[in-house]
Amino acid sequence: MTRELNLADIQGNVMRAYGRYSFPFARYFFFHFDTAKGGRAFVEAVRKQVTTAVRWNAQDKAAKDGRSTKADKPNCTVNIAFTFMGLWNLEVPVRTLQGMPDVFAEGMKSRAFVLGDRDPTVTEDDAEGWDKHWDAIWRANRKPGASGVDDVHAWISLNAQLKPGTTDVPHPDLDAKTEWLLSLCNEKSGVRLLARNGASGKEPFQGASAVFEDFGPLKLPTAKEHFGFTDGIGDPVFKGQFPPEQEAVAVIGRGKLMGNGWQPIETGEFILGHPDESQELPPTAEPPEFMNNGTFMAYRKLHENVGSFHEVIEEEAARYMKVMNVEKHEAVETLKAKMCGRWSDGVPLPVVPTYAEWIKFGTDKGWRGDNVDPVEAYKAQMAYIRSTEASDFRYADDMAGLKCPAGAHLRRVNTRDYLDPLNSFAVDPVTGKQPENPKATSALNKRRRILRRGLPYGPPDLDGKNDNTEQGVIMMILGSSLFRQFEFVQQQWIQYGLDFHQGNNTCPLLGSHDHHKRHTIPSNPANGKPPYVMTKLKTFVECRGGDYFFIPSMTALRMLAMGIVDPT
Amino acid sequence: MPDFDTGHLFLTYLVPIRSDSPPSATAPSYVQRVRDALALFPTARQSPATVDAKYNSPFARNLRNHFVRIFVLDDVVYNGRVGQDAILATIKGINTIVPQEVDRLNAAYMVFAADIDAISKNGDPLPLHLSPAEQARVRRDYAHELWATMRQEMTDILRNCHGFDPEKITTADDFANYMAKCHVETTMPFHDYYLELPKFHLLPAKALLAVVAVPAVAGLIALVLWLFGFQHLPILGWGALATSIIAFVLTAIAAALSVKYAIANGEKPLAPGKYDDLPSVLKALYIQQSFADFVAMHQGVDDADLHKAFGQFLAAHKPAHVFGPTQPPGEISFAHSTQHTSGALS
Repeated sequence: MTRELNLADIQGNVMRAYGRYSFPFARYFFFHFDTAKGGRAFVEAVRKQVTTAVRWNAQDKAAKDGRSTKADKPNCTVNIAFTFMGLWNLEVPVRTLQGMPDVFAEGMKSRAFVLGDRDPTVTEDDAEGWDKHWDAIWRANRKPGASGVDDVHAWISLNAQLKPGTTDVPHPDLDAKTEWLLSLCNEKSGVRLLARNGASGKEPFQGASAVFEDFGPLKLPTAKEHFGFTDGIGDPVFKGQFPPEQEAVAVIGRGKLMGNGWQPIETGEFILGHPDESQELPPTAEPPEFMNNGTFMAYRKLHENVGSFHEVIEEEAARYMKVMNVEKHEAVETLKAKMCGRWSDGVPLPVVPTYAEWIKFGTDKGWRGDNVDPVEAYKAQMAYIRSTEASDFRYADDMAGLKCPAGAHLRRVNTRDYLDPLNSFAVDPVTGKQPENPKATSALNKRRRILRRGLPYGPPDLDGKNDNTEQGVIMMILGSSLFRQFEFVQQQWIQYGLDFHQGNNTCPLLGSHDHHKRHTIPSNPANGKPPYVMTKLKTFVECRGGDYFFIPSMTALRMLAMGIVDPT
Repeated sequence: MPDFDTGHLFLTYLVPIRSDSPPSATAPSYVQRVRDALALFPTARQSPATVDAKYNSPFARNLRNHFVRIFVLDDVVYNGRVGQDAILATIKGINTIVPQEVDRLNAAYMVFAADIDAISKNGDPLPLHLSPAEQARVRRDYAHELWATMRQEMTDILRNCHGFDPEKITTADDFANYMAKCHVETTMPFHDYYLELPKFHLLPAKALLAVVAVPAVAGLIALVLWLFGFQHLPILGWGALATSIIAFVLTAIAAALSVKYAIANGEKPLAPGKYDDLPSVLKALYIQQSFADFVAMHQGVDDADLHKAFGQFLAAHKPAHVFGPTQPPGEISFAHSTQHTSGALS
């Protein structure tokens, strides 16, 4: 029988990507516990303000029935998570700590080789100083020989809605909550704010904001990141995340395919203490209530080299125009789409594979054309990317990648049914027709899904950017196993290409291109053009710091605050 | 099968390591010495730490090794008491409080596991069939190849093993004889190079079932008729009971033969895949790298120039010539290998 999740025990950021729920602003704070007592008092003060996953008024049909599951949507959310060293400094017992995963204990910096944050073609000795471009706060975190004096122990995020009546100003609660947080840190409290964020190393917090664009008279938050791609569309859907009637729709294109249509993924893939896709309970430390309803998070500040990105696109487009005999706009947009797997407005290549179809699609949907009202166009496009249409597609019917290249970003981070070993691969040399493989499943994908949370950072527009200006994405990747889910996807699918028949080639967008600079774009034989190989890729996205965090349940937060985590 | 499959030998050698006392109280055990010798083996130039190493893995010195692994097997894993049905144990009078004998290996073993081309001479085609005697011959030739290319390394390990006296084992034949004594059958080979799946030896399951089912059904019908009082079968007039007995005997014989056939069918080796020998695999890796570079560099080139350039490509890289130019074994890529060797195989 199905069991409803105790949403009031789970932190809200696990269930919701706030950015999708009209919270376009965020601030991320990092703290160090100088004393365990001070740390526990801090947790006690914060936990009472933490936003849980409880459903909000407008979202829950039950609210209409008068049931008490409703809550008012907050103006500004609060969430908290801890590093392994944070839990250690809160004096969580060793027997509990040693039951936590080794990669969490080691922290993200020590996994740099696996993640590709450090050049994997050289040894650790030869890579000395590999993190010199990281923000000061992250260089000092887990620094060898520094005895942990500046280690990051806790992460707190504030996410704010718009100020009522405005379209681009944060709600005043964001500043109020910031003041309150800072007031908890002083000389006597035993808790230090690590105010060394940003490239300057002087920011009290890491700010983040949606990218805003002008739509006629209005400046409105978009779903774009700084390269101009529409982001955050296909997040996985798991059991208990939505009320049943909402789940039935949300799951399309975002759940798993196991021969029974789209089904939600098991809760245990994302929240500890619940059965997972291997029909087991994910491993947790003693006592069970310490980790149940919690999860793990990789916090990564991903810098975007916007200058390099546009230069490379320009250069490749010049050659692509010549080889493919197309106009410049088509070359630029097609190359970007074939790298990402979606056109810049979020329309997926598996559904709309060619430029001409894409132009028509946007026109038919009401966001492209000369006489379209900009605000209406904005609404139409936002509605589209939130619809099932933007997520409902497969790859097993395009094994050759004629529509969406096998090495494209989208196919790497969520392989859907592509890896089904019974998929057959064939291309009709005249028509380009491929087998449908309708029975393909996502069995080899459903244990590698990740929840993506976060927002872009940097100036909230797309103008005047180069490689040295401060912009990118604050990426938070959530799941029950950092090792099996996030690290696997990062190492095997983003920084390597074998599963996609791409050899050593890395993800064209997120991969490191220090050594491997190619991305192959297959061509449908029906159009008589050869495949195109991008050969000049540069590293467009690079990590600027971060760490692994545990996001406890409300129960665990209380146990931490009271100092009563008891593994016996 | 199972040692021989797909034109390859899947070899397992178990060499007992000396368990007697080392010569002094501070000298390391023989097991420790084997581990030492293995730890000092150069590894292939395939990791950041070794990619530019002075010495490559000694296994990269021949052109037959697809995969080789040497390790020390201390003992079989003790998996606890062998379970038994509680009622049966009670009837048999087994007292489960008394500990069972624990089955252990008589010594630590050096395990040598290898997948090799089942050939006697480099360049030979992979064979479809090999009799047990021919397999022994290929193993012997392989031992000769090892002795010729890594006598020093093998001696450093084996001098710590039972019955290996470096003073006495001085020729390739001596070495081959010693290894032959340690050979055990591989029970589960695994091959993963197929470009196209081979013709599998599918079991004619329906035919086999019919061979068993037809006499079984006939016997059953005859038995039922006999039970209902028919002494003879209608029309045929045979004795019902006798027919039934004969049919059941035939069923048993057919079942036994079917099982035997199924096992023999399963043991038939599969055919080698196309381009399955090590030199072809290396050449394929080489061509893959050089052709990817060629494609990337010649995008948008007009037809005449492309034709000319491809001619030059064929002349330079000789796709049909397996032994050169190519990627040498034990290297992560052809580009890296050029720093160490000429790129041609001998």
